[in-house]
Amino acid sequence: MSTQETVDKYVTKPYKYGFVTDIETERISKGLSEDVIRLISAKKNEPEFLLDFRLRAYRHWLKMNEPDWADLGYKAIDYQDIVYYSAPKQTQKKTSLDEVDPKLLDTFDKLGIPLSEQKRLTNVAVDAVFDSVSIATTYKEKLAEHGVIFCSISEAVEQYPELVQKYIGTVVPLNDNFFATLNSAVFSDGSFVFIPKGVSCPMELSSYFRINSGDIGQFERTLIIAEEGSSVSYLEGCTAPMFDTNTLHAAVVELVALDDACIKYSTVQNWYSGNEEGVGGIYNFVTKRGQCRGARSKISWSQVETGSAITWKYPSCVLQGADSIGEFYSVALTNNLQLADTGTKMIHVGPRTRSTIVSKGISAGRSKNSYRGLVQIGANASGARNYSQCDSMLIGDQAAANTYPYIRSRQMQSSIEHEASTCRISEEQLFYLQSRGIGTEEAISIMVSGFCRDVFNQLPMEFAAEADKLLALKLEGSVG
Amino acid sequence: MKFSSKQWLDSLPDPQGLLEEVQRHGRKSLITLGLPTKSSEGWRLTDLDRLRALFDLPVYSGNQTQNSESDHFRNRNIWPSTSSKGFRLVVDSAHELIDSATVPEGFTFLTHEELSQVLGRTLHKCECNSEWAVEVNQASATKILALRINGRVPPLELIMPACPNEFSATRVLLILEEEADLELLQMVLGAGCSAQSHVLEIYLGNGASLRHGWVALGGGEASLLGHLTVEQEPESDYRLTTIHQGWSLCRVEPRLVQLHGQAYTSINGLQVTKGSEQAATHTYVRFDGPEGSLDQLNKSVAANRSHSIFNGSISVPRVAQKTNASQLSRNLLLSGNACIDTKPELEIVADDVKCQHGATVSQLQQDELFYMRSRGIKLQEATELLLEGYCREIVSLLPLDIARWDLLNYLLATFHE
Repeated sequence: MSTQETVDKYVTKPYKYGFVTDIETERISKGLSEDVIRLISAKKNEPEFLLDFRLRAYRHWLKMNEPDWADLGYKAIDYQDIVYYSAPKQTQKKTSLDEVDPKLLDTFDKLGIPLSEQKRLTNVAVDAVFDSVSIATTYKEKLAEHGVIFCSISEAVEQYPELVQKYIGTVVPLNDNFFATLNSAVFSDGSFVFIPKGVSCPMELSSYFRINSGDIGQFERTLIIAEEGSSVSYLEGCTAPMFDTNTLHAAVVELVALDDACIKYSTVQNWYSGNEEGVGGIYNFVTKRGQCRGARSKISWSQVETGSAITWKYPSCVLQGADSIGEFYSVALTNNLQLADTGTKMIHVGPRTRSTIVSKGISAGRSKNSYRGLVQIGANASGARNYSQCDSMLIGDQAAANTYPYIRSRQMQSSIEHEASTCRISEEQLFYLQSRGIGTEEAISIMVSGFCRDVFNQLPMEFAAEADKLLALKLEGSVG
Repeated sequence: MKFSSKQWLDSLPDPQGLLEEVQRHGRKSLITLGLPTKSSEGWRLTDLDRLRALFDLPVYSGNQTQNSESDHFRNRNIWPSTSSKGFRLVVDSAHELIDSATVPEGFTFLTHEELSQVLGRTLHKCECNSEWAVEVNQASATKILALRINGRVPPLELIMPACPNEFSATRVLLILEEEADLELLQMVLGAGCSAQSHVLEIYLGNGASLRHGWVALGGGEASLLGHLTVEQEPESDYRLTTIHQGWSLCRVEPRLVQLHGQAYTSINGLQVTKGSEQAATHTYVRFDGPEGSLDQLNKSVAANRSHSIFNGSISVPRVAQKTNASQLSRNLLLSGNACIDTKPELEIVADDVKCQHGATVSQLQQDELFYMRSRGIKLQEATELLLEGYCREIVSLLPLDIARWDLLNYLLATFHE
């Protein structure tokens, strides 16, 4: 069998998380207006400041134009045809997991997310978000012993409004960009993490986002604050059922790291990517940004992007504090007609700030995979350093791999290095491995895995295994 | 926004001569295109105020005799005589270039009929026939130099002087027939408050070879807009070396297409900026066939408050299997107030290709300076040595005839002022 056939077989694998949970939901009717925003806010018992925040964002959003520069070429989104709030019918947040609808638990079980007690063996606390609301957060008490707050953002608004008010919208301002502004107006749920001064979070924190309805937009908002000298590792996973309509996912993630704090944010994104003809799938338009406010702070993004019809995502670091560090490690795999336009922004503001970018793009089928990144060194960032590496792997001769690095420096005492290359799975490499008794499928898997190793090494242990499996799944075929 | 310098368009003489149709077309397009804005990706970084100011200058009227020698150069006493083996043409708005000069064997002027068939073809292939800067040229250029080259010919030197206090535009078309071999050196000389627009179209037939030097030295408030467009047939060899120095506003766009791949291209550029100058190089290379190769190196040095921009785009469509392309952008910042923007882009669809790009931005290497100082070389001298080495890498790639111009020292003098 030729390499091409093998590879083709290998990259086509049905989406395993495409089922729909049949559960009664409470939802508001389609459409967006000030009344809808007031309704969402009222449903969540929000304080005045947040409603005001939402309304200001909405009014600003009305004046904004949808961006078209990324050349994504998607069908126009009808913002009045989206349900902005949908929740499983059990409005009261349960105190114990035993009270949660077993159907929901089953859903997360199927997705491999351990919510039920007997399965919670791994040392990971999970916040599970289903459509618009968080249904359960595990290990909350244990975390509270250390002073760590880990809950849904709705709970945080109720219980710690002063913290939310102090930090929300300070990293991603409500008028930042079209989709972030929309999110600011209608965000439903997401995670809130607060790590107090000097605390090293005792376990991995994790959120799991699930879109269940076909016509709902998921607008989650995550806020993570690491006070002086603290550290945390946070993981995020996403899936959605298969629908032949496109679903909008416009999330905002804000990270704040104060002096000597360290935040590690990992994502494994596996939203439904549409079928082979490009019908259906999630539009994943996400704004993620971290601010290294304190000296010697560090923010590290790692992501494995395999799903979504269109991904448009640039996790960024604003390096304000002196000697702060920003990192970005990414694997983006696209297949069929997927479009991924992803990368990062490293904005060096403070002196001696450092950043590293490692991006690996794998394009198969007729997909288009672009790295778009900005490295900017400001006039005060003396001694700043950046290193970027962007590699692309092309599988088949119809996939596109693009690289658009934007580099700007205004500081002579600084250095920027960027390199990019492309490669493919070649006949020779396959032959080499096969001649040593390794099956074709495994050989391809080895090569892809090796290609991505720099990034996988950065993922937390539990996730690295999952990511490897995920890539293998996406590329798995019937050989062997 | 409509073209704000309507007066500028109105001030142009009525369309006439060989380029009559082209002029009409250009003027019409400019009215619809309007001035570029920051929202268009290609013009995001350009100083649009300076661009607008270009149209306050009157278009060359023909009343004033253009200096064939730029004052700028005469003062420095490095205006050399024509080399014995090559020949020189002055390309400006004053001289009628067709049917006039006597040219060595191997060069022939294109007839009007031939010209009407091929003019604009390369621009079209390079996807820039309706670019704003090209339309500005088309609207205003009145003279064209169009040459066909056969066989191995003597080096050609084209001098493109500015016309002080005026806006001048030239157009050049070169057709290198199969196996033709040419060394071309273009000297674009700015002076005083002047603006120039140059559009160049080059076609390289099978197995043709062109070593092309483009040296653009500004001065004072001079500005330059240039499009260098090239089509290459298989087995052809094109080596472009560009030098830009001393322009208040300089934007040059080398654009190249390998029509059926299987050709070799090298593009090397150096831009040196000081004061509040802005220099931009936007390159575009597309492979429309397999087995093409490209080596590209762009260097810039930015001093004082200057701004240096590089935008390099490489497109490798599906047909371009086994392409081998590499691009490197190296940038030196010599001052805390200067600014460098660089964006090397790759767009690849073919899977069996070798493509890579790289970019660096830094100051002079401290360890290299230290090495020399520890051997008793003064800081100033060590700095100059490093800069010399940095610039020489590009300057040495120019056609050999450049040796008469003493260019390297001229460039290095930039840093002394």
